Amino acid sequence: MSASVVLEDVAQAFSGPGGGTRLALDGVSLEVAAGEFACVVGPSGCGKSTLLDLVAGHTRPLRGSVAVGGAPVAGPGADRVMVFQEPALFPWLSVADNVGFGLKQTGVSAGERAAAVSHWLARVGLAEAAALHPHQLSGGMRQRAALARAFAMRPQVLLMDEPFSALDAPARDRLHVDLQDLWAEAGTTVVFVTHNVREAVALGDRVVVLASGPGRVIGEVEVGLRRPRVVESTTVVGLAQEVRRLLDAADQLGIGTPRVGRDGHVVI
Amino acid sequence: MGVVGLVLLGAWALAGAMADALPGPGATLAELAAMAGDGRALSIGWRVAAFMGGCFAAAAAAGVALGLVLGAHPALDRGASPYLAALQAMPTSMWVPVAAIVLGTSPWSLAAVVSVGAMPAIMLATRTAVKNVPPLLLRAGRTFGARGWGLMRQVTLPAALPGIVTGLELGWSIAFRCLVAGEIFSGALSGTGIGDVIFRSRESGDLTEMMATILIVLAFTMTVDRLVFARAQHRLRSSRGLVDAGLPH
Repeated sequence: MSASVVLEDVAQAFSGPGGGTRLALDGVSLEVAAGEFACVVGPSGCGKSTLLDLVAGHTRPLRGSVAVGGAPVAGPGADRVMVFQEPALFPWLSVADNVGFGLKQTGVSAGERAAAVSHWLARVGLAEAAALHPHQLSGGMRQRAALARAFAMRPQVLLMDEPFSALDAPARDRLHVDLQDLWAEAGTTVVFVTHNVREAVALGDRVVVLASGPGRVIGEVEVGLRRPRVVESTTVVGLAQEVRRLLDAADQLGIGTPRVGRDGHVVI
Repeated sequence: MGVVGLVLLGAWALAGAMADALPGPGATLAELAAMAGDGRALSIGWRVAAFMGGCFAAAAAAGVALGLVLGAHPALDRGASPYLAALQAMPTSMWVPVAAIVLGTSPWSLAAVVSVGAMPAIMLATRTAVKNVPPLLLRAGRTFGARGWGLMRQVTLPAALPGIVTGLELGWSIAFRCLVAGEIFSGALSGTGIGDVIFRSRESGDLTEMMATILIVLAFTMTVDRLVFARAQHRLRSSRGLVDAGLPH
């Protein structure tokens, strides 16, 4: 239940202010093996979300190629599911109907759907909340429901766009552990984008470091630590410093040396 | 609601005492009782309900459908919106004489004016509601495999529903204005009986029956508002978490 993701020399541009174009990504090559948990870390504005959009098929690259499972990406597909920074649950549906939404689209029968929904709701600890509406849940519970909705699709590739950055720290810590469990069970490929270096090290098999202006890969760090990992562990913090040094070397942080009038901020 | 009703009744009694031509609540209620007794009240209420129900259903179906089309096609929207906005701002009762001459003075001619008159407001409200659907929800719908009509029916439409209901309320009130304008123009155009009452009041100068009929129409619009629109709005708001129920603890 997983597929490789390969980007080769990808460039992507956006129309900037005044009619000109601005390169969001330039010459990005990245290979994620089937079943791998890859984290992409970089300052805001480095094209992390664009990278996910390309793999999801929401946009096409200006140059280069994007392939999933060996086949070029032609558009959105149910084999690649995106989890957003905000839970993006449908407010008019119950939690159970939200989780079953994708399965309904792919034509899964009502009986199978109900079974899958209750399985994944139980897996994320929301069995009691099935009949509630999203507004009745806490922020952490909403993001759990969004995870259940994504995993219920049994996607080949799970694309995660800073999914925990809007959560409070305790909720985030729990979700870090839960996500590693869910990933181990589902065996899906994960591309997880974040600006949080420790989060990237805690979750990923590998951390890919992007720099901004335009977005490009400036380094990779293999994470060989035992799972499940937590962000506070000294080994995670140690490796995070290594990632941080890569970003520092490319002058992408500016935490130690405040830079007036320039963006680029990474949490360590 | 009851207290406000009593205050309004008091104000009416006061106005009736000051203006001789205006029948007070007592005389009006007596007339209303007489109209209820011989079946005229029920007959007017029933015919208004049938006429308005039919016209409004047609206006709502066409307005929402065309509004969804406009919302989904920006180029079409840019081309049509100025004309629709002009139509919406124009009093639709101006079409009544036109329709009466082109289509004849039949209930169908007024029905056409009422339906077409209510449509632009419903269309524009639907269009705006569709354009205001958060893009994140559409992206979520697409990432989970909803496309085309499925995306429209399962994401766009429910997300836009609160705005669409507001448009329907507006269309309903426009339709009612249009109906009465038609009745004033030519006696018995809609067959609801309101025109006959207006005609008789004009001839005799006695407004008692007119005031009683106004009360019947008022009761009808209030019933529709309470039973349909207010309920629909409340259900939409509470299921989306827009009703503040206070802190949970």
